[in-house]
Amino acid sequence: MAFFFNRGRSRQPADVARSTKELLLRVQETPNLPKAEEDLAKQLSQMKVIVQGTQEVNTSPDQVHALVQATLQEDLLYDLSRTIHLLPFEARKDTQTIFSHILRFRPSNYAPDKDPPVISYIVHHRPEILVELCRGYSESQSAMPCGVILREALKFDVVAAVLLYDQSKEGEPAVRLSDLKPNLPQKGDGVFWSFFDWIDKSSFEVSADAFTTFREILTRHKNLVTAYLATNYDLFFGQFNDVLVQSDSYVTKRQSIKLLGEILLDRANYNVMMAYVESGDNLKLCMKLLRDDRKMVQYEGFHVFKVFVANPNKSVAVQRILINNRDRLLRFLPKFLEDRTDDDQFTDEKSFLVRQIELLPKEPVERSRPARETQSGVNTAVA
Amino acid sequence: MAEDMASHYQVMEELGSGSFGTVYKAIDKTTGEIVAVKHIDLESSEDDIQEIQQEISVLATCASAFVTQYKASFLKGHKLWIVMEYLGGGSCLDLLKPGVFNEAHVAIVCQQLLQGLDYLHSEGKIHRDVKAANVLLSNTGKVKLADFGVAAQLVNIKSQRNTFVGTPFWMAPEVIQQSGYDFKADIWSLGITAIEMINGEPPHASTHPMKVLFLIPKNPAPRLEGNDYSATFKDFIAQCLTKDPDHRPSAKELLRHKFIRNAGKTEALQELIHRKQDWDGGRGMNKDVKYYAESLNTITKLPTEEKDDDEDWVFDTVKAPSMWVPKGTDWSTLDEEWEEQDPSQLMEDMHITQPPAPPKHQANSTVRRAKDAERSPSVRRANTKRRSSGVKQPLGLDLSYGNTPSTVRQFRRVSDRVPANNENAQIKPPPGFDENTSPKPLSTDTISKEGQLGRRAYSRAVGLSCQEVLATTGDGEKREAISRLAEAWSDLEMVDPEGLYHIVRIMNERLQADPRLSTLIPTSAQPDSPQRPRLVLAQNNPHLKSHHRRQSSVVEPQPSSPLANLPGQNASGMEHTKQLTDVLYTRWAEGLRNRWGI
Repeated sequence: MAFFFNRGRSRQPADVARSTKELLLRVQETPNLPKAEEDLAKQLSQMKVIVQGTQEVNTSPDQVHALVQATLQEDLLYDLSRTIHLLPFEARKDTQTIFSHILRFRPSNYAPDKDPPVISYIVHHRPEILVELCRGYSESQSAMPCGVILREALKFDVVAAVLLYDQSKEGEPAVRLSDLKPNLPQKGDGVFWSFFDWIDKSSFEVSADAFTTFREILTRHKNLVTAYLATNYDLFFGQFNDVLVQSDSYVTKRQSIKLLGEILLDRANYNVMMAYVESGDNLKLCMKLLRDDRKMVQYEGFHVFKVFVANPNKSVAVQRILINNRDRLLRFLPKFLEDRTDDDQFTDEKSFLVRQIELLPKEPVERSRPARETQSGVNTAVA
Repeated sequence: MAEDMASHYQVMEELGSGSFGTVYKAIDKTTGEIVAVKHIDLESSEDDIQEIQQEISVLATCASAFVTQYKASFLKGHKLWIVMEYLGGGSCLDLLKPGVFNEAHVAIVCQQLLQGLDYLHSEGKIHRDVKAANVLLSNTGKVKLADFGVAAQLVNIKSQRNTFVGTPFWMAPEVIQQSGYDFKADIWSLGITAIEMINGEPPHASTHPMKVLFLIPKNPAPRLEGNDYSATFKDFIAQCLTKDPDHRPSAKELLRHKFIRNAGKTEALQELIHRKQDWDGGRGMNKDVKYYAESLNTITKLPTEEKDDDEDWVFDTVKAPSMWVPKGTDWSTLDEEWEEQDPSQLMEDMHITQPPAPPKHQANSTVRRAKDAERSPSVRRANTKRRSSGVKQPLGLDLSYGNTPSTVRQFRRVSDRVPANNENAQIKPPPGFDENTSPKPLSTDTISKEGQLGRRAYSRAVGLSCQEVLATTGDGEKREAISRLAEAWSDLEMVDPEGLYHIVRIMNERLQADPRLSTLIPTSAQPDSPQRPRLVLAQNNPHLKSHHRRQSSVVEPQPSSPLANLPGQNASGMEHTKQLTDVLYTRWAEGLRNRWGI
């Protein structure tokens, strides 16, 4: 990190950073101090102007650089991430802007293919910042600004890795990038797993934002997530099925079924998909979705259901359910969402499924490789 | 939780239908404050939840006296309620109904709007749809920007956008040309809005919106001329409507313009509100007030999970999934029990196959769309064309909205809406429809194979190619020619898909017959997949859109798999494999190859 400290510092950004720090500490100690909040808001708005300029005034790279240095020196990002919910309205937005710019900041001579310096710094030395940002979802005031910052940070896989693997409790140091243990199954109480709660239990605005971030974590960096899902298959899909797919919230339910389809049909997650479509319970869940009384839920459910039926190597459990419901399905499917006349692919897929179901044997057939029958995890299948 | 939120509001009469939903007047029971509540039926939107979220997040981060204030949002069943500040004066478009504004009124509205835009722009937001319809007035004459349905939040204050959104007549040339635009685009739209207020309609209002898209970049910028207008007003318009965005002043600069500095107080706008009220009164407008009635389908589900078993799937009744051991006999027993039931029950069983069609919400959505469609024949025409495929067509689709004051959203979302019009279009052929087509295309039921292929060729290749070329063509004249061609193809597809098929087929044959031209068409363009035909699933979002889906499937027949004798192939039904099975199979085979090193 030497480059952060070896330049002649411009006075002004360092001053702003220092007074911001002092005020932040005061606000943390005694919330509801209007004077301190107001002063803090002023400092933050100055910082915002330094990092993003205005429509009329461009930023000065030196000033930005100096501010970034000072911010790291004062450990300001950590304090900001913990304090967002205490800030006034405009100051929360300013904080979001400041954070996003600082995270993306690259000095002029910096290699463009390397992660930005502040990102590297955070994942190696101060991952607590990321965890605190996630905890911003616990308060409605901080949820949206924290969400925006997190999604900015999640453009980098190292950030996703920390969020997936951190298991620190409140007040404990978070996991450093160098200490990740991807092969160790998760206990399910880390920050990533809290997303299920935030999505399920929060108000619409918070829940929807948390879901967007959750989805970003799970879809952006494929290799990382594939390995994670393989190691934590049972825990993850247990929660996903119970909490999200069966959520009482229409939006959570619909979005998560869609996300489930995306995860399963992602090429990278082939083994995860195969494990998922082995399970009779998963199939039952899906078939219930087909009968939901909201058509978009039915529709999203269909795109998961089709994978079960299309799988050429169905487990006995899955075959059994399909065979037992063959007649019902054959009556049900032709009329299923039949007003979707414009959707050729949907119609094609539907008739394909009907054919597949017609062709099911009378009794379930053991597959040639029954080895996976009893395993719910995917690790062994990968090996 | 959400239910509690909804019960905080006493919903009263309907105020109107905006983008996405119906707006009601309501009373916040806890404070007694009057608010506007927008109901968005999420069931009627295919994939827009995230876009709606985007709209909310833009709104929620605005706090300005010049922007409609967002208060809360929550779900009730599958309806999203967005609570906003109530503005009793109506929109400027409403206020224009009794007659045009005078210059003094226009100056006040513009001055207020500029302050709103200055706020938004300093926040890195672009409204992208400034027009009289989106300017609301309070009872006291306060002016506020509304409807952030297509607003953009820039991550970087200096960054630019390319998305083609807005409403054609109000769009800045740089937005149409898609060469990158920024907050200056709103200034242009403000200038058009000023003309709208003084003349009652935007420039080119009588022109087809498709044409307008060529005229705006090509023609000199509109100006106010003649002695009816003051010099400062004319100059203000000229400043706003500067074609080069770099020379167009910012909101801050325009606030210093003489026309704006001399603007009066907002109270003066009450005259317009009273004028409108008198006008409405004279027409007996208040009689058809629609009150909010809770439709059955918004009431959240009763606990019907435990439905009568006849209707539901046959699953085991053991409630311990991990302990569940499948036994063949159990299942056949259950099955038998079911078979023994009264045959009339079986018949009744059929009705469940129809997804419950909530009458209220359907009526809602069609009404809204039908309204759009009725205003111009071109709308209907564009919609009818596309019924056999949900694929976007060159420009025409967007324009299905352009002739009305409704907003063009991003290209891809338009295809969602079009099919919903089918019903409508089928029932009554539009009046302006018959002059260039026969009624034949309206009955697609008896279409030949060639015809289907023709449609397919159009939707997959021809239409998209035109669109693609159009998108990369800057020159106005060329664009117009291409779009005429695109329209001609589209007409042909509608009237005679068979003919279209033959043209494409013969064209293809001729191309291939020519030694030099044949190199244009590589015959087997699938170097990376020696496998059988398969469904290539879009990586990020496999079932995002119907056209997305359709585009992703590969249809050419290919030699059968070299792995045909591997396990997995023996599963029943493999001889009929197509698409899905093939994906799964291909992946499975890939997995095997990786593992076994084949």
